[in-house]
Amino acid sequence: MQADAPTAGEKSVKSGNGAPTNAMKPRLMRIVSAHDETPDVRTLRLQHADGSPLHAWKPGQFGHYTAFGAGEAVFTIANAPTRSENLECSFRAIGKVTFDLRNLKPGQTIGFRGPYGNHFECEAWKGRDVVFIGGGIGMVALRAPLQWVLDNRKDYGDIVILNGARRVADLCYKAEMPQWASLPGVRVVRTVDPGGQEPGWDGEVGLLPQVFEKLGLATGKRTVVTCGPPVMLHYLFLSLAKLGYPPAEVVTTLENKMKCGLGLCGRCNVGRHFVCVDGPVFTWAQLQALPKDF
Amino acid sequence: MDPVTDNKGFRISRAELDKWVASLIESATQVIAPVERRGVRAFRVLDSAQELCLADGKTQWSPKEFLFPRTESVFSYETLDGELKLSDPPPTSNDRVILGVRPCDASGLACTDAVLGPDAIYAQRRARTVIVALTCPVAEPECFCASVGGAPDGTDGSDVQLVPLADAFLVRSLTPRGEALIAAGSKKWKAATDKDWAAAKAQGERVAHDMRGTQVARDWAKSLEARFESPAWRGLSRSCVGCSICTYVCPSCTCFNVEDEGSAGCGSRCRSWDSCSYGLFTLHASGHNPRPDQASRYRQRVLHKFSYYPEAHGGKNMCVGCGRCAKHCPVGLDIHEAVHAVMSKEASHAG
Repeated sequence: MQADAPTAGEKSVKSGNGAPTNAMKPRLMRIVSAHDETPDVRTLRLQHADGSPLHAWKPGQFGHYTAFGAGEAVFTIANAPTRSENLECSFRAIGKVTFDLRNLKPGQTIGFRGPYGNHFECEAWKGRDVVFIGGGIGMVALRAPLQWVLDNRKDYGDIVILNGARRVADLCYKAEMPQWASLPGVRVVRTVDPGGQEPGWDGEVGLLPQVFEKLGLATGKRTVVTCGPPVMLHYLFLSLAKLGYPPAEVVTTLENKMKCGLGLCGRCNVGRHFVCVDGPVFTWAQLQALPKDF
Repeated sequence: MDPVTDNKGFRISRAELDKWVASLIESATQVIAPVERRGVRAFRVLDSAQELCLADGKTQWSPKEFLFPRTESVFSYETLDGELKLSDPPPTSNDRVILGVRPCDASGLACTDAVLGPDAIYAQRRARTVIVALTCPVAEPECFCASVGGAPDGTDGSDVQLVPLADAFLVRSLTPRGEALIAAGSKKWKAATDKDWAAAKAQGERVAHDMRGTQVARDWAKSLEARFESPAWRGLSRSCVGCSICTYVCPSCTCFNVEDEGSAGCGSRCRSWDSCSYGLFTLHASGHNPRPDQASRYRQRVLHKFSYYPEAHGGKNMCVGCGRCAKHCPVGLDIHEAVHAVMSKEASHAG
């Protein structure tokens, strides 16, 4: 969120030749491939159905994905623009739209609107250590900035990836983790909630904030990038405060319900800011200044 | 929103007004105006000037739905030769005049313009619509426009202003579009005099004076947001049943839902009026709800109207003071009283 960013309501009425195009109408995209990350999280790789090149996007931006007949759902663009062969999304099948999206096969068509929203200021983290803390489906929102950082590896210091889920089966991007962990200066720590472990589990057992505290990472020149359920963030922020992390160096995303992505439909606001336009990326310092409406 | 001070304009009889309206209808302009049927006064497309009802008081609903329909398709889709094809909704084909709009409702349309203006479908419809406002010769019991920045003879959101006096109407254009609209009739109209406009001004002042409600100060926007955690919200909203009638009768509410109607191969995407008073409005797929109770939802409604919107729009309140929400609320909630309650010292004990 930029402090001086105009809110969506400040856009003026265009008329005559400057008439806006119908931003509610999606572009058609073809599913190139699809695979399951967990029992209920699926990743789609997408291309424009008409073969035209993908629009540019930045890590942290999101889209509205259509399963025609079911409707639209909102999730982040899960890959970095440094790996822009396809546009990827990962989502949890939890409602009408996402169940339909999960059942679509490669070659079939979905709708896409976006990219929308602000983005992670990855450029601003240059020269710093970065720790990514992803809880459950929250890991999906971190994959694009993580890929960006890994693809510009020399610009960044030590990288720690802390990924947690309720159960081993619910950990996202299991197939990619070993590759990330093999890169120099990258440490991957995985944890599951107590009771979520299974035979052969070699990761941690414990809630993410506790595991994070145990890592004993020095605050120094470290940026924290995190996404997870509200209850996880609540306790993580308590841990971060205890460890003395400056709120301006902690970055997260808000995932409020949205219907338009354009600052019009009125449901994602936190105070006078619309998450879809002024977010979804906020620093902890910015969240502290907002009404507790998220 | 201040009344226009230059005294240009015309003085016309009801017969002349009807003749002008009839000429607009004949020229294939769609005239949308208050019509009373079976005791319900609402904006409808006029078939003839005789249907026009310009009696005291307001319509049951504002004319908002003619620019922002209750439900509309934002695109349709069908499968042709195995390929999905998406189509924009057909554009509005008529020039339209919404006539007899009370100043509160016209001000509400200025709010919907500010929010929905960037939307192509709204903008196309809006570009072909001219607003003819009708000032208020009486205040109804629920009215409080004068305490939220409006006026019974306010001009916000209006292209033409009609002032009903005892034996005539004063007409003046407020914008170039308004000027063009009255050009057809005004060649034969008599100029209004300073005395006529003095009578109009006196009428506006009398109605404002008669109106209930104490001022909502412009600088309350920030103070209200600072009371986000006030216990007053819980006390105020305790009787709210979450029916959302306040939203549906509001001339400035613009929030909408978006849903698909149809199958995977053929259908349309529809947007419909929605309300921040519903629990489902902000419910996440995960089950988390940032506004989990009626208190947080009622707070959102009040703060949007009196804090968030004004802070983003030069201090203009999003509540225009028509009072319909208070009039129709099944449990008697009154947004104007709520603002004062939250701002008052006693508010901290209301919860």
